[in-house]
Amino acid sequence: MSQPVIAPAGVQALQVLTVLGSAPLVSGITSHLEARLQGRRGPRVLQPYYDLAKLFRKETVVPEGSSWAFLAGPVVGFACYLVVPLLIPVLTTYGLPLGYMGDILGGGMVLALGGFAMALAASDSGAPYAQLGASRATTFAALAEPTVLFVVFIVAMITGTDLPYALAATVRSSSELARPSHVLVAVAFFLVVLAETGRIPVEAHSGTLELGMIEEARALEHSGAPLALAKWGSAVKQLVLYTVLINVFVAPWGLASSGKVAGIVVAVVSLVGKVTLLGAVFALVDNSFSKLRLFKVTEYLAGAFLLACLGVLVFYTGGG
Amino acid sequence: MQAVLVALFVVPLVAVPASYLLPAKFAPSASALAGTTSFGLCLWLVPAAGAHARWGLGSFLHLDALSEVFLLTTTFLYATTAIFAAGYLRLPPGPAGRRYGERFWPAFNLFCAAMVAAPLMNGLATLWVAVEVTTVVSALLVAIDGTHEATEASWKYLLIASLGLSLALLGTVVMYYAGTRALGGSYTPSFSELRAGASHFSPVAVRLAFVLAVLGYGTKMGLVPVHTWLPDAHSEAPSPVSALLSGTLLATSFYALLRFFQVAERSLGPRFPREVVAGFGVASLLLGALYLLSQRDLKRLLAYSSIEHMGVVAVGTSFGAPVALFGVLLHVLAHGAAKGTAFFGAGSVVRKFGTKDMEAVRGGVLVLPWSATLLVAAVLGLSGLPPFGIFRSELLVVEGGLSTGADALPAVLVVLVTVAFFGLSWSTTRTMLSAPPARGPAGDVARGEVSAWVVVPMVTGLVALGLLGVHVPGDLARLLHGAAAQLLPGGAQ
Amino acid sequence: MGQVPSTYASGAGIAALLVLLAEFAMLRAPSLRSQVRLYMSQSLVVVVLAAVTAAVRGLDDLYVLAGLSLLLKVVLVPALLVHLLREAGSDLSGSPALKVASMVLVAIAASAFGFFTVGPLGFRSPVLPSSAFAVAAAVVMVAFVLIILRSDVVSQAVGFFSVENGVSLASMVVAAGLPIVVELTLLFDLLVAVVAFGLIMRAHHALRGTLYTWELDRLRG
Repeated sequence: MSQPVIAPAGVQALQVLTVLGSAPLVSGITSHLEARLQGRRGPRVLQPYYDLAKLFRKETVVPEGSSWAFLAGPVVGFACYLVVPLLIPVLTTYGLPLGYMGDILGGGMVLALGGFAMALAASDSGAPYAQLGASRATTFAALAEPTVLFVVFIVAMITGTDLPYALAATVRSSSELARPSHVLVAVAFFLVVLAETGRIPVEAHSGTLELGMIEEARALEHSGAPLALAKWGSAVKQLVLYTVLINVFVAPWGLASSGKVAGIVVAVVSLVGKVTLLGAVFALVDNSFSKLRLFKVTEYLAGAFLLACLGVLVFYTGGG
Repeated sequence: MQAVLVALFVVPLVAVPASYLLPAKFAPSASALAGTTSFGLCLWLVPAAGAHARWGLGSFLHLDALSEVFLLTTTFLYATTAIFAAGYLRLPPGPAGRRYGERFWPAFNLFCAAMVAAPLMNGLATLWVAVEVTTVVSALLVAIDGTHEATEASWKYLLIASLGLSLALLGTVVMYYAGTRALGGSYTPSFSELRAGASHFSPVAVRLAFVLAVLGYGTKMGLVPVHTWLPDAHSEAPSPVSALLSGTLLATSFYALLRFFQVAERSLGPRFPREVVAGFGVASLLLGALYLLSQRDLKRLLAYSSIEHMGVVAVGTSFGAPVALFGVLLHVLAHGAAKGTAFFGAGSVVRKFGTKDMEAVRGGVLVLPWSATLLVAAVLGLSGLPPFGIFRSELLVVEGGLSTGADALPAVLVVLVTVAFFGLSWSTTRTMLSAPPARGPAGDVARGEVSAWVVVPMVTGLVALGLLGVHVPGDLARLLHGAAAQLLPGGAQ
Repeated sequence: MGQVPSTYASGAGIAALLVLLAEFAMLRAPSLRSQVRLYMSQSLVVVVLAAVTAAVRGLDDLYVLAGLSLLLKVVLVPALLVHLLREAGSDLSGSPALKVASMVLVAIAASAFGFFTVGPLGFRSPVLPSSAFAVAAAVVMVAFVLIILRSDVVSQAVGFFSVENGVSLASMVVAAGLPIVVELTLLFDLLVAVVAFGLIMRAHHALRGTLYTWELDRLRG
């Protein structure tokens, strides 16, 4: 008896839906774990879903003097974050329809476009804290950019292409994981993800102190459905970055190699499992370090850049 | 002959514990005895070393014409400096003076022992170890006076020279690697093996090793731009130590550099190593000569003159003509004798006037009739006036340079040496030969030498310098010819 | 370029990189004690690498070297430095000439110089991956940056000792067959250098009551 098979386009849709659906779950699990590590009971695992549902029901308030950009921002950002799962191996080992329309750089640009839309919306609000957050987030994103570029260079040098699928395949098929330059690049990317998702040591994401906020502050003026989209969007972005880290750099195993239903189910489950594990690691990092002072963030990003640079140098000078 | 070789290695080493264990008043004479004995042994070895290479203690020690030349300088200064220090130090009676002597004499002997050992080592690695020991011991000797300036100079010296030497160590390791292709995975890097196999070495590795070695040993030799420790250490060290630093330590480092030069020349052909050495040499000549023009501190003046002379030596090596190489080696000997004498005299002047500032020192010859006169003679010798040895050696270097067909470099050499001549002789003679000021701090300095023992080594040094200028004895000439031949790419193995 | 190295080679390469990263960490270490600790861990990595290389390649000489290095570089030298720090009663490192991020950038440039001068020479090593040699060169370069930019005697001394670690690493890569007697004398030499550094650092502290080097500016010209 032949197993039921899902058409490639369906799998691709499923990739996006998986990310969309499980993103709140992953942030819920992470914050739950975090709370447990700190000895608190913490929110329920499904709390983010309730939050979103509540926010969607609330009315939307728009600051005086703001333009269409204020409302468009969260929508555009959300859309951008949802495009990226098309390009990366979320569930499958092989490229799906539209999967080759952009490489890692393309994905990075789409993510950056989402960030830009959010920053624009925040600036448009006219509120000081939101603008502060937007300018900080943009600054740090710019500082993290060289690191990301070097990571991409390394990937391109190792595989001869900069498609995420190709690198994942290389990692799966050989002892690539132990290659020094790969280790350096993976760690550098880990640090960037830490910074990009707004976590300690760069940002205290669960705090309420506006002055210390970076990414969180951007959505301070939003309310109702746009706020829900912004929150959901950042959860999606977080999951997308986790997925890239796991399925491209660190552990691209458990993915489906065909459209068979059983394989896809396994892939979904293993993705959630791996991401939860990574979330646990992040929670651990969160509890082991304190937040850096704002001007020390440049040092942190310089460290990430250093690792990426060394990765390139080591690779260039041979022997991996 | 082997026994003499081993004795030369052992005598200074024995002097180290002896000068510590003997009663304080015998330490100077024991050191002077060890010094003169070493020099005697070394003289004894001249004809033998000129003939062919010798080994001692298995193949641990190694003596050929090249190392003998440097041993001569070292042991000569060991002997004269020990005598000078015995007269110069005049430690105050009591525990403070005794403690100073207990630290100074063993360190002094160990410093000399390491410098005697360096040319005797049979291999790049052991050579490096000996040079590193000289750094560490001499840094402690520089700091021995315990003043602010002395610790500062000592810290800079230790840090910079050690860093330089770690580059030289890297060079040694790379040179070893270069040889593995020709000599197998595990071999003893002795000079004869290295020279014999050099033509089969991996050229890229030899090139890197040579550059690292020039940078590394060049740091200790005082080549510009890695010379920065040198003026400080020379001026702040006690004068006997300054004499040793300038006269022999720089020469010892140059010797180490020449060992790399030999291998590099045989492996890469003469062009690359000569160009590298010439670059550093011209820079040193230029900077040394210019600084000589504007120097007020007597000991720093002599220090910059050392840099200038190391430049001469390096440029001479880069000419590669037998005459020039002969001149270079003669220059090493003459510079040792002249610079030692000059620092002895400078030591007496500084002791007498209580300052190193040449603007404050006037009428030196009237206050110190012997020391100051001899100092002026030594400085004139250093600046290249006949009939002293440096005149002859510089002439030979220029002649050798012209004989290679290159005109520019010998011309530059002549110009810069002339500039240095003016800087050096003008300021010194003005200080020493002027009338004493009627009043002021220097006006009431008592006439008379520090000690008679201070004058003896200065006279000895000047006699040696004159001898090298007037007539190089036959055995020595043969030795220098043999050593120069070793430095040619196709020279004796 | 694309070939993937073996697991041992990768491990050795990563160990070499850890040595380099420790050097970078020294650049930003805020206190002298952490500086010394970093030196200690760096030496430990070198020692472990030597021991593992000895085991994998069957070079018994390296065991001796690893043991003695352990004693000297992981125990003795740090203990000496910590003793000096306790005596001096000061722990803050001299403020560097540049901010940390700029220092890291300068050091990256320096290490790139090290990599690119040595890397393309194509040294082949029988026992370790050849990239480790380039890493060793970078370690030496970064240590130089550390010494130049930091202004206290302990940091400078630690910088010098870590240069020695870099050279050890380099010698393991290209000259693992260097006669053991030679290697041992090198260690002995480090010991002597440590004593000299210690004595002069102490004299410096006794005279000026500080470990900083800002006042070392009397000798010029």
